[in-house]
Amino acid sequence: MMKMPNNDITNDMFLPADIDTTQSEKISRQSLSFWKDARKRLAKNKGAMISLVIIIFIVIISLIGPHMNNYGAYKQNLHLVNLPAKIPVLEKISFLPFNGTEHGVDIYEQRHIKQNFWFGTDDLGRDLWTRTWKGTQISLLIAVIAALADLVIGVAYGGISAYYGKHVDNVMQRIVEVLSGIPNLVLIILLILVLQPGLLTITIAIVSTGWISMSRIVRGQMLRLKSEEYVYASQTLGASNSRIIFKHLVPNTSGQIIINTMFSVPSAIFFEAFLSFIGLGIRDPQASLGSLINRAYGVFQIHPSQVLFPSIVICLLLICFNILGDGLRDAFDPKLRK
Amino acid sequence: MDNILELKDLHVSFDTFSGEVQAVRGVNLELKKGETLAIVGESGSGKSVTSKTIMGLIPKPPGKIKNGEILFEGKDLLKFSNKEMQRVRGKEISMIFQDPMTALNPTMKVGKQIMEGLIKHQNMSKSDAKKRAIELLELVGIPNPDARVDQYPHEFSGGMRQRVVIAIALACNPKVLIADEPTTALDVTIQAQILDLMKDLQDKTGTAIVLITHDLGVVANLAQKVAVMYGGKVVETGTVDEIFYNPKHPYTWGLLSSMPKLHDHSNKLLAIPGSPPDLSDPPKGCPFAARCPHAMKVCVDHMPGYFELSETQKSACWLVDERAPKVNPPETIGVRGE
Amino acid sequence: MVRYVLKRIGYMIITFFVIVTLTFIAMKLLPGTPFKTQSRLSPEQLAQLRHYYGLDQPIPVQYVQYLWHALHGDLGGSFQYGMRPITTMLAEKFPVSLDLGLEAIILGAIIGILLGIVAGIKRGTFIDYGSMIISVLGISIPSFIFAVFLQYYFAVKNQWLPVAEWNGGISYHILPVVALSVAVIANVARFMRTEMVEVLGQDYIITAKAKGISSTAVVFKHAVRNAMIPVITILGPLTAAIITGSLVIENIFAIPGIGNQFVESILTNDYPMIMGTTELYAALFIITVFIVDILYVIIDPRIRLTGGDA
Repeated sequence: MMKMPNNDITNDMFLPADIDTTQSEKISRQSLSFWKDARKRLAKNKGAMISLVIIIFIVIISLIGPHMNNYGAYKQNLHLVNLPAKIPVLEKISFLPFNGTEHGVDIYEQRHIKQNFWFGTDDLGRDLWTRTWKGTQISLLIAVIAALADLVIGVAYGGISAYYGKHVDNVMQRIVEVLSGIPNLVLIILLILVLQPGLLTITIAIVSTGWISMSRIVRGQMLRLKSEEYVYASQTLGASNSRIIFKHLVPNTSGQIIINTMFSVPSAIFFEAFLSFIGLGIRDPQASLGSLINRAYGVFQIHPSQVLFPSIVICLLLICFNILGDGLRDAFDPKLRK
Repeated sequence: MDNILELKDLHVSFDTFSGEVQAVRGVNLELKKGETLAIVGESGSGKSVTSKTIMGLIPKPPGKIKNGEILFEGKDLLKFSNKEMQRVRGKEISMIFQDPMTALNPTMKVGKQIMEGLIKHQNMSKSDAKKRAIELLELVGIPNPDARVDQYPHEFSGGMRQRVVIAIALACNPKVLIADEPTTALDVTIQAQILDLMKDLQDKTGTAIVLITHDLGVVANLAQKVAVMYGGKVVETGTVDEIFYNPKHPYTWGLLSSMPKLHDHSNKLLAIPGSPPDLSDPPKGCPFAARCPHAMKVCVDHMPGYFELSETQKSACWLVDERAPKVNPPETIGVRGE
Repeated sequence: MVRYVLKRIGYMIITFFVIVTLTFIAMKLLPGTPFKTQSRLSPEQLAQLRHYYGLDQPIPVQYVQYLWHALHGDLGGSFQYGMRPITTMLAEKFPVSLDLGLEAIILGAIIGILLGIVAGIKRGTFIDYGSMIISVLGISIPSFIFAVFLQYYFAVKNQWLPVAEWNGGISYHILPVVALSVAVIANVARFMRTEMVEVLGQDYIITAKAKGISSTAVVFKHAVRNAMIPVITILGPLTAAIITGSLVIENIFAIPGIGNQFVESILTNDYPMIMGTTELYAALFIITVFIVDILYVIIDPRIRLTGGDA
């Protein structure tokens, strides 16, 4: 027989309840636009935000740094060569390399130098603080221009290839296939040898290989989207071409494009530094982070501290750009949307 | 009682970013030797989580078992160590999965995948295990098993792969076989073959089967007992006859109504309006109240206990209470077997 | 399979041909044509050189001649070293570079794979974060900066290891190999972790667990094998990275290898040497990529090659 499980249930409770069944159909999660959602997720990523702050900080200091003293980036002074770093106040902190000593000797005192060189001087007596930040400017400039050029060429190439399809696509992809078989290094070095080293040449050389991955991503994404079921679905529902482009193609490809651009910045910074280090980069007296390291490496065994500051700046930049790129990738990947 | 498997008041939840999701909220089930119990319900009703919990395959974290017992031959599996559980899995209780396309390791020969369990649980030598693997392949109806044993999963069709998955599960003559939607991912014609195979194998081996499905046709074919799950709870249990001919819970009515029928000429598929409750914030009362056409005030705030309608049939619905208005099941549930 | 291999060989030849042509064009475009401005050469040598390259002949003829010589393994002679045959010099120096490169790849791959496996299994723990921090640092920090600081700490400051000299002994290998392998470790670890996480979420891992085999067996027999297959694909880019790295690392540690030679020839405008080395690097890279592609097909049983499209 039936069991009575509850005794505090009263008879009047057995009247029909007024429940709106549509209530349960309501979507509880607030819908966010693609960009808002990505931004929100990026903002939650502590590593990426810290990296962004550091990058902004480096950019600002590279712009104002050279104006913080009057030594100038190119002024040589043979009385002031190879000085270690000295920063007032910070010199008191023993574990920091800012006390003006080298191998335990206070060089400033020994040579009766009254000025302070915050990052020291190089073998021609030029102020390394000024040169480091000037060099940072150059390195960043090359990297940003290269990344943007990658973006434009890559998107155009990939887009045209995917849009026209068939023979055009076939020919264009065979070209890419052959080009991507050539190691970047080889192409870059050949180009620089032909064009002679310099700011523009380095940029061109870096771009000459950088656009390929971008074009592949753009083409791949576009081809994939052209056959994606939700795009068909959208077409079937009568969405216009522009709606499909702006609601489906743009959000789905722009994330990838932004991520790739973000990653081509550190790779350009690296190649510039690499080329400068092997003597194919920016020519003296102009400075880039790579050429500073290269020059400092020449006196490295006697004055090891000169290598330190440009190395720290370049490592910080590369690490932060990579972490930011990772953060962007996580933020933009719609598959991870939760 | 000769229950081989018994679940008592099982609670399982998952920690997610949006809070704790209570996937299983107090499930009681009983399975006798050689019997087939079907667990039916829609997606998110907790049926798959229940089955994985029995196998000890809930990843912890994020999953956690908050309460309850899983008694296998009288011993509580939840108290077993990892090592002890390994001796149960595959040997005493084994499992068939939903999607045969992904359930097999793509880079391992199917023979080896079958042999693994044999070598582990029955201490067979490699050559004995291989002989047994060939026998098993033959048993599950794979033609030319001598050659097939050395092939990779991608060389099998979907239906054939599911047979391999069954062979793996049956390798060590388990006492309980859990089949998690074993036919959902297959073509309709293949579905029937696999069901026949399972029936046939059960006759031969006497294995008890827990069949997880949302397909009532499969239930009618294979099971003796049915448990209907909704919102992480079992809302009604009974023998197949009781559930099909004399269902008491409105959700069971809905399920039966939504099943397409051969001789129904109204051409109308009946759906249950609404969607299942959000288990990160489960309703206080009956989980189905929000979608129930017969919901009463009592349903909203009070979870009904089980009303025992017969020796075997229990229903958790206030409508069965004698104070409730008399409601007849809709005709659309279609009395079967006419 | 055969068609696929043939197709790949075809591309390989085309790519190499393009590279040889590019180097030839680059050579022709070089400012002040090398043969005019080489003051290091005696007039006789210059004449010999001009005759050798047939500079008096039209460019297409020169091109064909150049190809013909290259095809016979004759890459010309070094300006810097009194016309010593490039091929001989490369053959002399290549083993050193190859040694270091292989050591770095093997060491890097082993450590990277282990780190990746551990990080993938212990996802979300401090071990995972630790190894991912290592890998971000390894990917970001250029190998030459790493090398400079290794050299400073281990050789200059503490003198545990030789600074910048070379006699081939094991202690001379340590710093360059470590410096070269950092990038390999970082890239492999990160890739392996991603693959492990992906594979561990696959249904067949649950099937394997459901069989009751031990967790170690699940990880090593089922997860690691499947996760490692895609890792092979980054061998190509890694070879390129090692080559790039070797230019500076060999320079920093004064290793008489091809990288060092290449940088020297760039700085001294030793054009034939630059061309020869360029072509060697290109060949190395192309062949690695080819081997990787073929290996991938052999190792992954899922890839069945029918016809030309793979």
